[in-house]
Amino acid sequence: MDRYTQAAWLIPLFPLAAFLVLTALGRSYRRAGVFIGSIGSLAAFLLSLLIVIDRLGANEVDYNYSFDWIVIGDYTLRIGFEVTNLTALMLAVVTLVSFLINVYSAGYMKNDERITVFYGYVALFTFSMLGLVLSDNLLSLYIFWELVGVCSFLLIGFWFTLPKARAAAKKAFIVTRIGDAGLLLAILLLFWYMPDHALDFTTIQSVFDGQSGAITNGITTLIALLIFLGAAGKSGQFPLHVWLPDAMEGPTPISALIHAATMVAAGVFLIARTFDIFQDSAAAMETVAYVGGFTALFAATIALAQNDIKRILAYSTVSQLGYMMMALGLGSLTGGIFHLFTHAFFKALLFLGAGSIIHAVHTQNINEMGGLGSKMRVTAWTFAIGSLALSGIPPLSGFWSKDLILTIAWETNPLLFIAGLAAAFCTALYMTRMFFLVFMGKPGAASSSAHESPASMTLPMVLLAVLAVASGFVETPWNSSFGSWIHDGSEEAHSSGVAIVGSIAASFLGIYIGWLVYGKRSVSRTAFQERTPWLVKLLERSYYVDELYAAIIVKPLKLLGSSLMVIDAYVIGGIVRLTGAAASCAGRAAARLQNGQVQAYGLAAVIGFVILVAAIVGRRFLP
Amino acid sequence: MLPSYLTMAAILFCIGLYGALVKRNAVVVLLSLELMLNAVNLNLVAFSKYGVVPSLTGQIFSLFTITVAASEAAIGVAILIALFRLRGTVNVDEFDKMRR
Amino acid sequence: MFNIAITGEFAAFFVFSAIMIGGAVLMISLDKVVHMVISMAAVFLGLAGMFVLLEAEFVAFVQVLIYAGAVSILMIFGIMMTKHQAVEREPAKPLHETLAAVGALCLFGVLFFAIRTTTFPEPQPFQPSEDNTMAIGELLYTGYVIPFELLSVLLTVAFIGAIVLAKKEADE
Repeated sequence: MDRYTQAAWLIPLFPLAAFLVLTALGRSYRRAGVFIGSIGSLAAFLLSLLIVIDRLGANEVDYNYSFDWIVIGDYTLRIGFEVTNLTALMLAVVTLVSFLINVYSAGYMKNDERITVFYGYVALFTFSMLGLVLSDNLLSLYIFWELVGVCSFLLIGFWFTLPKARAAAKKAFIVTRIGDAGLLLAILLLFWYMPDHALDFTTIQSVFDGQSGAITNGITTLIALLIFLGAAGKSGQFPLHVWLPDAMEGPTPISALIHAATMVAAGVFLIARTFDIFQDSAAAMETVAYVGGFTALFAATIALAQNDIKRILAYSTVSQLGYMMMALGLGSLTGGIFHLFTHAFFKALLFLGAGSIIHAVHTQNINEMGGLGSKMRVTAWTFAIGSLALSGIPPLSGFWSKDLILTIAWETNPLLFIAGLAAAFCTALYMTRMFFLVFMGKPGAASSSAHESPASMTLPMVLLAVLAVASGFVETPWNSSFGSWIHDGSEEAHSSGVAIVGSIAASFLGIYIGWLVYGKRSVSRTAFQERTPWLVKLLERSYYVDELYAAIIVKPLKLLGSSLMVIDAYVIGGIVRLTGAAASCAGRAAARLQNGQVQAYGLAAVIGFVILVAAIVGRRFLP
Repeated sequence: MLPSYLTMAAILFCIGLYGALVKRNAVVVLLSLELMLNAVNLNLVAFSKYGVVPSLTGQIFSLFTITVAASEAAIGVAILIALFRLRGTVNVDEFDKMRR
Repeated sequence: MFNIAITGEFAAFFVFSAIMIGGAVLMISLDKVVHMVISMAAVFLGLAGMFVLLEAEFVAFVQVLIYAGAVSILMIFGIMMTKHQAVEREPAKPLHETLAAVGALCLFGVLFFAIRTTTFPEPQPFQPSEDNTMAIGELLYTGYVIPFELLSVLLTVAFIGAIVLAKKEADE
């Protein structure tokens, strides 16, 4: 039954072909562009689905195909693709979300004149992400990693005429670049230390799994931390999270595709792939867990004070990614990947819902919205399902995955368990706040012209809502089929009563308080504002992290750049000008000799003659 | 004895060269040229007496030199007179039509 | 070079060289052009004396006749016909003059160096004939007759050319 798996290399090629065709078409063929892009991702999705079905049986062998790519001396770099269960799962998720986004964008971006370019970029991104997922060694993963970053840059800055979009794209690229530098260093270290300089995942697994002692603990920790740096950049962990909220300047379908479901999950995916390196180093695992837990709480608190609908969702994404990192850091591959799986669906759903709202009311400020529930029924219902899933209400999918993580935290690290609970409470609170402010209450300033979005936009939302409900049941405390499928059965089903009760309590508490403040209005909205305005301000400005970076890093760099520019203009430019001036001065001086007077010419001849004779005679005196 | 005659001739030649390059009046330039040619004559005659193979060849050659120098001086003055009629000046500084 | 006996020849050489150098230096430093020509004539005369010292009497005679006589007068004629100002007033061109002086001095240095370091072979004694003029005449009309004829052609061309060049334009 391997025949579909053997054809897995075709999967990235469908969107790549779509990208090439769309680039060749240019801006003119708008309807054809939509169609071609959607067909590309649909073909990829169908093939991925077949592969997943292929591999559903237990104990499927990993399939790897590679060929010699570069041979330098006695070092051979092989390149190819690898299909494991984890890889197959990611393929399905990425292609499904990509296909739904393609369908959604047909409605959302309908009036944009560069829609074909947009579809081309989305296809290129899909190709890069699928290539990343299918890579069988770290080097080709890095290549696709960079390519994904480039596509993110192109798509965030899609409306490049807006200065904010340009700045956001630059910021995203630069901040993730910092992480990428870490990843590159890790790859170099691995290249240096691995036997035979091998970089493919199977060899990494075998070297680190068996603890052959080939690589010392210090180096292992260093490599693991550098890989985590790369993952932190792409997945927006503190302190490299600053690009994600600004990335909301891009079109909303992009926020759904890249910054909710797929690219930001690449960091988690990377750690999952190199999990053996991490398991070898306790220090690295601790770092990952603590950074993840801290980020989860940190971003959740910021989201409480945001007024832009997309920014709330962006900080929510950062927070949920923190959960995934925390799970991985605590040793549970299943926890991280399961949460990635469920999060992809409900976060994409939430973003698509936000896009639908923005499309209707043309504003992103939730304070200007209100009462949209009656006018946009499908959006409201699907958004509610997504919010409940995110808040972790049973039996929706988010509950099962968050519960798994909290269970593991309770069993290994109670401090992180508290942090996780607090973050869950904040999550429920801000989602409820958003829901009530947007959909309930009196219509706001912008809600008058709102109407439901077209079918191309609502159908993907409905499908995602169904998945948000149903996808959680593959891994419950009583049925750990997902876990064993992903991780070869090395993790048993977890179940802890404290965790289940705690998470449900935190979520319901959050929803209740949110309803009190924003729904029933029995507690004043500005209660916090009046008592602790500094706290609200701190949260609203996201703990002034951006300002801190600007002062510590950006300003000195700009100063350095300006001073170097001054040096370039005056010192180096001065030298260049000096050379030119010297040449022209010499020319002018020599021109004075040509004054038409015989005596001057005669003098020049005499002096030249004397010099010539002196040179020839003087040679006999040289040693 | 020969070196002193040769040195004498060298002195005269260099003084004549200096005059030819520095003087403004064209007639004086011609005069300096005559000085230089005289120095050459002195050399020739000195070598005819004190040279490796003393003979009269040096003296005859110096006769030829004198002749050529005299005719050149004549032609030079004739040209100067014609130029003076055309330009009104005999300052070599002002004959710079070849400038640029 | 400095251990030469004070013979009559040496004294005569010294006197004549003093005249020549004095005349040359005066030529380039005097103001009035006519004075320059006169000092030049002194140089020519000193040179004639040198030729006599060198046992080239005919050349000395020709020198006096042609140079001190004809060429000096020619120059004076040239001066008379080309300018009426007697005084030569020159604007200072210090760079040019300095460079020319330096060039001339360097040239003299090179020549002096060459003269000092050359070892002239011991000369065979010079046998002057009793009658220098006769000897030159014989040599001129036998061995050097072709250059002699060419020289006469040259002289003819020269004086015809000089007349043509200096002729006033015919009034038409």
